[in-house]
Amino acid sequence: MSATSAESPWRLYICRACGLIYDEAEGDPDSGLAPGTRFEDIPDDWECPLCGVTKADFEPFERPDVSAVDMGPVMVAREPGILVVGAGLAGWGIVEAIRELDTETPITLVTACRGDRYHKPELSVALSRGQTPDQLVRETGAEAARRLGVRLMAETFVVGVSAERHQLRTTRGTFSYTRLVLAQGARPALPDSLPAALCWRVNDLAGWSGLQAKLAEGPQRVVLVGAGMVGCELAEDLARAGHRVTLLGRRAYPLASLLPEAASERLLHSLEGLGVTYRGDVDVTRVEADAMGERQLHLADGDVLTADHVVAATGLATDGRLARLAGLDFERGILVDPETLQTSQPDVYALGDCVSFGGVPCRFIEPLPAQARAIAQVMLGHDAAPYRHQTPVIRLKTRSLPIEMHGMPDRYASWQVEHDDDDSLVMSQVRDGRRLVRLTVGDAPRKRVA
Amino acid sequence: MNSVAAPLLSSAWNDDAQVLGEVRQVAREQLAPAASRIDQGYYPLDIMARLGEAGAFAAHLDKHGTRFDLALGSMHEISRRCGSTGFMTWCHDVCGLYMEQSGNPALLARLDDHAAGKTFGGTALSNPMKAMTGIEAMALKAVPVANGGYRVSGTLPWVSHIQRGHYCGLIAAVDKADGSRSHEVMFLLDLDERVRLGKCPEFSGMEGTSTWSIHLDDYHVTPEQIIADPVRPFIQRIRGAFVMLQAGMATGVTQGAIDSIHEVEPSLGHVNQYLHHRPDELQAELDELQDRVLTLAQTPYETDKAFLIDVMDARAQGAELALKATQSALLHQGARGYLMSAAPQRRIREAHFVAIVTPAIKHLRWEMAKLMKEEMPS
Repeated sequence: MSATSAESPWRLYICRACGLIYDEAEGDPDSGLAPGTRFEDIPDDWECPLCGVTKADFEPFERPDVSAVDMGPVMVAREPGILVVGAGLAGWGIVEAIRELDTETPITLVTACRGDRYHKPELSVALSRGQTPDQLVRETGAEAARRLGVRLMAETFVVGVSAERHQLRTTRGTFSYTRLVLAQGARPALPDSLPAALCWRVNDLAGWSGLQAKLAEGPQRVVLVGAGMVGCELAEDLARAGHRVTLLGRRAYPLASLLPEAASERLLHSLEGLGVTYRGDVDVTRVEADAMGERQLHLADGDVLTADHVVAATGLATDGRLARLAGLDFERGILVDPETLQTSQPDVYALGDCVSFGGVPCRFIEPLPAQARAIAQVMLGHDAAPYRHQTPVIRLKTRSLPIEMHGMPDRYASWQVEHDDDDSLVMSQVRDGRRLVRLTVGDAPRKRVA
Repeated sequence: MNSVAAPLLSSAWNDDAQVLGEVRQVAREQLAPAASRIDQGYYPLDIMARLGEAGAFAAHLDKHGTRFDLALGSMHEISRRCGSTGFMTWCHDVCGLYMEQSGNPALLARLDDHAAGKTFGGTALSNPMKAMTGIEAMALKAVPVANGGYRVSGTLPWVSHIQRGHYCGLIAAVDKADGSRSHEVMFLLDLDERVRLGKCPEFSGMEGTSTWSIHLDDYHVTPEQIIADPVRPFIQRIRGAFVMLQAGMATGVTQGAIDSIHEVEPSLGHVNQYLHHRPDELQAELDELQDRVLTLAQTPYETDKAFLIDVMDARAQGAELALKATQSALLHQGARGYLMSAAPQRRIREAHFVAIVTPAIKHLRWEMAKLMKEEMPS
């Protein structure tokens, strides 16, 4: 502090008892000292407004030089570790990939479910195998957490996130993270016509378990809404388990959004051979429960179907809430860098069903280990071979008619038949001499020859 | 300081900056010096009347432009100086909201005096809010009477910002003849001689909030007092606004704590640098939270599930932040902040109150978990 004019600068005095600072510039208007009252002009009976000692207990005060050690941005001073959201195959996959490289880094796994480990594709075939939820669990969440040295926050919902502050808010408290990995999955997308309280969804063990418990009571009438991959797989599984199954699709044939008509037709005959009734070109307008608990499905054509259970297989969607709160770019899924799986925010990664590559989600099991490895390597600073996204091979778990597809079909390209007999159908799409897709329906011809 | 500004006309409340400036001034000049006294038991109706004149209790009302941002801003400035008065501001604000949203002409006729702080009223919805989400049982029972209205009996343990001559919003359960629940009714209870007010045990702080137990024995509620009948659709509609307004208490107490840290920075900064939760870090989190709350304040009557979760998340974060910031402020001030007259120790108790008043952190988490759980057929 230095004088800039003839007038001496305002001085500070500190109370030795309580640390209150008397600033001549501000005075102490509450006890009648106008701003600008010099210390020497203060009456001797004036008291410290805070603790009541007198003027004699004040001494001149110089502001100390406050130069703290620069620790960089305020939030990264501590290392809370890696936080993973979701305990499906993707969530546990990233935990294992990290632990393969590093056994020390603290990991916290936050999940809305119990965290038990199971192989999700088995949910499509487990009813006809007579399995129970216990049999599907390969390792409980608590066991896996102990084995992998992870803090597991089970049945915990993520309610908010601040990417800036590196904070995740949950229904069991707020957690800081050094790095965040989102493996939240995708949720069944239910149209308004299918109320959640009346329609089962088989997208996780909890959902499957509820349906399984009901169906264990004996053969029942089940209507499956949606004839995509999951709908067709479940239709076969339910029929094999002895239930009377009606499969509803929006197109004339099942799985017609993916398969050419000749292949869809074979799938239809295969399902019918198992006792499944397929109704194509239908729209469900509403579902109601009657007094007896039976479900009434009202169709757009005026028809009403009665069932003991309704299962919705109407596709999946990534919940955008977390992405919105964290300011993550989002287009039908959390947009990630196709090589590092990093999101649009630093220190936030995502993998599995919740991500999208340039607006295209990829909800298959096959790419998960490679995605998990890539993220673990990038996060832990290892020299990483970048992730290379490829369209996974699609295998439909329809045992009576195996369907396998390599590549992703182009809706506008035409299909060519490569092989066609009673046992199998092989088709492909070719563009500019390059095969885009190869589709095998039924046992592959080669296999039968061998 | 005891300068008293000239009484304001309600038209003066149209200017957001002016309202906020006046409220800030009253808070700084009248509330701050009284905060310790209020903490220990002084019920500051005189200062609240001044705040009412300044427009602190009106902005969120539809009649005054549904400016929840301004209502939150006022509550923030008040809570920054005195958490008890911040809490009573919330009580008063939601009471006004019940009166207005009731659409009941008899209650609307009383709204202007309420909004201006000429009359006072609180809220006794702690028990019913918990009861309606399944946390506890309803404390009050209502029986319909032939010529309209109800007879209400029961006891509520502690209701704040009330005294003889004031009023508050209440909910009572109406049962069918067979004892099963029919519905619930909400009404404005006038605290006249028919109501017995019981003294509460002493709390560890915020004693100036005039908190009493309410005992009703066949109290006759007339149609002029009805806020909502049945109450569930009404609560559904105001729930987000009810919880959101509390965020102003949390942000204000937090800001007050940060102020206290800055206050000692010149003299103690050289040692305070070794503490956790330094003021810049706290301020950054507070700013981010306030931005989010102000966005939510644009659509206070949204009932969408995602909105309610956002509101509860902000409210819970506010409580956690207030706990963290007030704790930090005391550590920063040291013995000086530990004096019984000092703000930091008082604010710690205020933050504890923010964290436990309904909906408490634990209620918010329970409710959010319930909302987020995927519904399946039973």
